Amino acid sequence: MSKEVKLFIGPNHPGMHGNSSVHLYVEGDTVVKARLVPGFLHRGFEKLMERRLWFQNLALIPRICVPEPDINEMVYAMVVESLTGIELPERAQWIRMIILELARISSHLMSLGGVGGSTGLYTMNYWTMSDRDRILDIFEKITGARVYHMYIIPGGVRKSLPERIENDILDVLDYIESRMPEYENLLLKNKVIRTRTKGIAKLTEKEALEMGVTGVGLRATGLPYDIRKIDPYARYDKVEFTVPTATEGDAYARFTLKYLELQQSIKIIRQCIELMPKEGPANVRFSDGSALRFKVPAGSMYCHVESSRGEYGYYVVSDGSEKPYRIHVRGASYPQGLYGVEKKLPGTRLEDVALWLNSMDFCPPEIDR
Amino acid sequence: MSFTNENAFREVKTVFNDIEFEKISERKYAVNIEKEKAVAFLETLKRKSFSHMSLITCIDRIAEGEFEIVYTLFSWEAGIVLLVKTRIDRRESVIPTVMEIWPTARFYERDIHEFFGVKFEGNPDLRPLILENWKEMPPMRKDFDSEKYSNEHFPSRDYSVDFLSERSEPDE
Repeated sequence: MSKEVKLFIGPNHPGMHGNSSVHLYVEGDTVVKARLVPGFLHRGFEKLMERRLWFQNLALIPRICVPEPDINEMVYAMVVESLTGIELPERAQWIRMIILELARISSHLMSLGGVGGSTGLYTMNYWTMSDRDRILDIFEKITGARVYHMYIIPGGVRKSLPERIENDILDVLDYIESRMPEYENLLLKNKVIRTRTKGIAKLTEKEALEMGVTGVGLRATGLPYDIRKIDPYARYDKVEFTVPTATEGDAYARFTLKYLELQQSIKIIRQCIELMPKEGPANVRFSDGSALRFKVPAGSMYCHVESSRGEYGYYVVSDGSEKPYRIHVRGASYPQGLYGVEKKLPGTRLEDVALWLNSMDFCPPEIDR
Repeated sequence: MSFTNENAFREVKTVFNDIEFEKISERKYAVNIEKEKAVAFLETLKRKSFSHMSLITCIDRIAEGEFEIVYTLFSWEAGIVLLVKTRIDRRESVIPTVMEIWPTARFYERDIHEFFGVKFEGNPDLRPLILENWKEMPPMRKDFDSEKYSNEHFPSRDYSVDFLSERSEPDE
């Protein structure tokens, strides 16, 4: 006689990324029904931003997505710049790219470390988190803060790079590059991980497109869709990099892609340091008077970037006043977190739920906002 | 790549003749459509390479007494963002669902229903997603007074901090 049992993964669970809960109906070890229950992290950012000045919002936006805050600043700055028509100095574009790619490395390291929670390989977690700390050190030198930088602002970046920071960045990149073979040995060549993740949490190309999955989840099915290539922003059209793809569409393929993207990010940062104008302003004055009286012309705009988890965008409406009229955030993991959990988890085994959440880069703060 | 945006837009125009695609920037376009035609229009666009639906946004245009619903579409082949905008009346805010075209839309619609009170016809699951035990007006509407709500539901406390009034010990 079979009996259905209801189980909860999260809001506190090693396999859960942040505060969110998956309600599972399980028969034996097989999931029958799954449902994501968000809301534990809802902070009402969209409403809060409507009641604050364009400039006060700079302190709020990085907090929308905890693991990778810089993309929020970038999208917000892009939207404000395209609504006001501010022209950026060349140097600012390159500094922004360095910051964004460093953030991508740190986010991918965190995500690869997340394999600890879902498979029990905690060594990976300790290694990547301690290596990620070196990038946070770089952030601290550049911006003064480790996690929430508030560095990319409309009109450029808050201040120029400190002197000789290029050497520090290159040192950290060399260090991470020297660690890459060790990650490969520990994770990708690990027999246990290969057996455990190959063919698990599979997604086909058709399903991924239908669901609207972006980022690594989509690229693991064979499509080279990356917004940095397809709809380039900053100076991504001036640097050389490839978009790694795989065809299997399973958890192992996604881990491999994250690993390969680390190498591409390192390559991009090295080119940025080389191609970046060595002198010049890092920001422009965007308003004639006080920043607090800064107004954005009426209009609406959608801008998006490629975050480490996929397409991340803001839809912003301005009515020409000192505060935004409406801001809507497109979180990258919205499709795979809500629809994907309901559609793809039934039929899989209980222990693979955490692998889906980890390898698809599920991120509760951008679902709750 | 054989795709050009002009061609795709022309093909769409043969079906919907009074449509104007407004160019916002190099790779961004916007289009206004009536509520009745919206679903058929979006379905046509999906077949004409705008297969990716990024976002459904609702904007409370309280001065005009309307809600604006914006479907943000993206074409992976051409790298073009297309904003499809439609308006509905604020008092009878009902619009057909697009979950048949993009299944993920179900959750965006659920979100909008919760925060704006817009009803999506044909969407079977409009239960609250994020808020718990919410009995007031949908909170993202512009006439929702969040200060009043806060005063009614949370106790007001005078701001006094103990460690400032007491003499603090000197640091070791």
